[in-house]
Amino acid sequence: MQVFFQTLIGGLSLGAVYALVAMGFSLVYRTMGLVNFAHGDVVMIGAYVASTFYMSAKLPFALAIVAAIVVTGLIGVIIERVLRPLENKDFDLMLIGTIGFGIVLEAVATLIWGATGRAVPSPVPAAPLDIFGIRVRTYNLVVLAIAALAMVALVLFLQRTKRGAAMQAVAMDYEAATAVGIHVGRSNALSFSIGAGLAALGGGLVGPLLYVNASMGGSLGIKGFAAAILGGFGSIPGAILGGLAIGVLDSFSAGHFQGYSDLVTFLVFTVIIMVRPTGVFGERTVNRA
Amino acid sequence: MHTPRHIRGALIGAAVLTTILATACSAPGKSSTSSSGSGKGPIKIAVVDAQSGQLSSLGHWESNGAKLAVDQWNAKGGINGRKIQLDVFDDQGDPTVGTNLARKIASDGYIAMIGTSESAVTQAMAPILQQEQIPNITSGQADSMVKLGSPFLFLNGPTSTTYDETLAKYVVDTKGIKSIAMITNNGGYGKGEHDAFLASLSKRGVTPLTDQVVTTDQKDFSAALTTIRQKNPQLVFIGSEEVEAGLIVKQARDLGITVPFAGSAPQGTPVFAETAGAANVENTIVSSPYLGNDISDASRTFAAAYKAAYGDDAELHGAKAYDGTSIVLTALKTSNVATGKKLADAIRATKYNGLLGSFAFDSTGVGIFATSIGVISNGKLAAAS
Repeated sequence: MQVFFQTLIGGLSLGAVYALVAMGFSLVYRTMGLVNFAHGDVVMIGAYVASTFYMSAKLPFALAIVAAIVVTGLIGVIIERVLRPLENKDFDLMLIGTIGFGIVLEAVATLIWGATGRAVPSPVPAAPLDIFGIRVRTYNLVVLAIAALAMVALVLFLQRTKRGAAMQAVAMDYEAATAVGIHVGRSNALSFSIGAGLAALGGGLVGPLLYVNASMGGSLGIKGFAAAILGGFGSIPGAILGGLAIGVLDSFSAGHFQGYSDLVTFLVFTVIIMVRPTGVFGERTVNRA
Repeated sequence: MHTPRHIRGALIGAAVLTTILATACSAPGKSSTSSSGSGKGPIKIAVVDAQSGQLSSLGHWESNGAKLAVDQWNAKGGINGRKIQLDVFDDQGDPTVGTNLARKIASDGYIAMIGTSESAVTQAMAPILQQEQIPNITSGQADSMVKLGSPFLFLNGPTSTTYDETLAKYVVDTKGIKSIAMITNNGGYGKGEHDAFLASLSKRGVTPLTDQVVTTDQKDFSAALTTIRQKNPQLVFIGSEEVEAGLIVKQARDLGITVPFAGSAPQGTPVFAETAGAANVENTIVSSPYLGNDISDASRTFAAAYKAAYGDDAELHGAKAYDGTSIVLTALKTSNVATGKKLADAIRATKYNGLLGSFAFDSTGVGIFATSIGVISNGKLAAAS
């Protein structure tokens, strides 16, 4: 029983990070119909920038993450600006463009921070809580809370604000949106930069949990992408649910299948997707891809 | 009799073509003999190591160690008046990239290879290097590499069996600890550690309380560590590379596992200590052939030169690569810059007194058969009392 709950807690903690990554994927997909394959590497840049401000500039951890969100938000704007001429002309090229950006970001990170990576000390030094023999790291509770807050804020933004609704309109019908006076490019740029900001939030938070290096975006990106698909690609609550589900699934399969855990995780994932191709919260508002 | 002009032209053309074809068809490894083996230019040696990815710190230390050795030889005038040219290639810690690089260094005329620091990559490269007759001295330690039986593969340190036999002897025989849990990864290195330590334990009639296997890119170890905590061991054996081992120890402490960990080379590195957190690695037992820079006069000289060259403190992997490179350079000197099989034989015959101890290679390519036991106390690795 203790193993069960401890595994659950461990899975939820990493799952919260996957959820933040998945939200970025979903947002860009929901508003542009595009899968941003550079997203995992934006997470990595976010982790590096946050850790640099936190460790070298000695900023408080929260401020360091805000700084990272600003920096990666700018990167998001740049990616969108470069890809903009392709919007509604060649979608495949845009996809490949995002892959290219991912490779560039990884190379830039290696140039700036070197290839060796760094360990980030935990900003919450308190000892883990002990609840009936189950140990819960205080820092993980912080991560879970931030992921929940980010989800609520994002859903409110998309449903309650004019800009959010405009982003939705662009995704559903590009020409009609233009006709009613929505600046499509600006809307996409905003979605890209919010997506990148979410990536930085995830990356900054995951730094003290893991080890920051230039290739960390790979596995975080894949797990986050899988989480977005599982929850229903494009759905924000789905991304949260998918992230937590992938985290927990990963944790339990690691416990039961040991060396074969990756295989089992993605087998289960494949079966779920075969049974329910649109994911748990599948709404499929977007059909441009 | 006159041969018509066009026929003569065709004959010459055919002759030229045959020569070109013959050159093009000869094995790339053989052409290196003429380009750098007995030639006049620099002696080309390749360093293949992960310069990016999670294992890049290993590759970074190793290429530093190799460069230091080569720079010192070049400063003394090289070998037979020829400079040594050392080029670094990035294998990303990936066996597929490694096999591509093996072909590349063969066709580019490198006569020896230093690296890699990953057993799995070395293992993937070994058949190609054997075919191309390029001697390779690796920092890997998995016994599976030795089992390949390539006469061109050498180790610059002991194998996992030596590391873990020494460790088991200290833990079980000297300290009398018999309740031991194991956690290893399923990569080339982790698997080697798992098998070697398990063999050493069963030789002593000890069965591990639990034997947990994780994947190489796993991030959450709650399930494995909670199982270990429930078994309440006196010691946890860890068989995983620097970063992952650091994460495991960090999470173990958070989960309330307070007993010491024990492992080999990776657990003596600064990356392991930083990832886990300095306080969490106290009392870790490390089996290593190079416990620190203060062990001997040779190690002090090496550490000073390393610090001067790179501004960093030297550690085991740099020292291993320094030893390995020095052995290759010594063999090149004694064999008058031989290549291929002759160079491999010269390396095997080299007796070398290095930072790790006295190297004397046996037929399997292993040159050193002893490690020492160290314990991390106050953040420093020191010889066990």
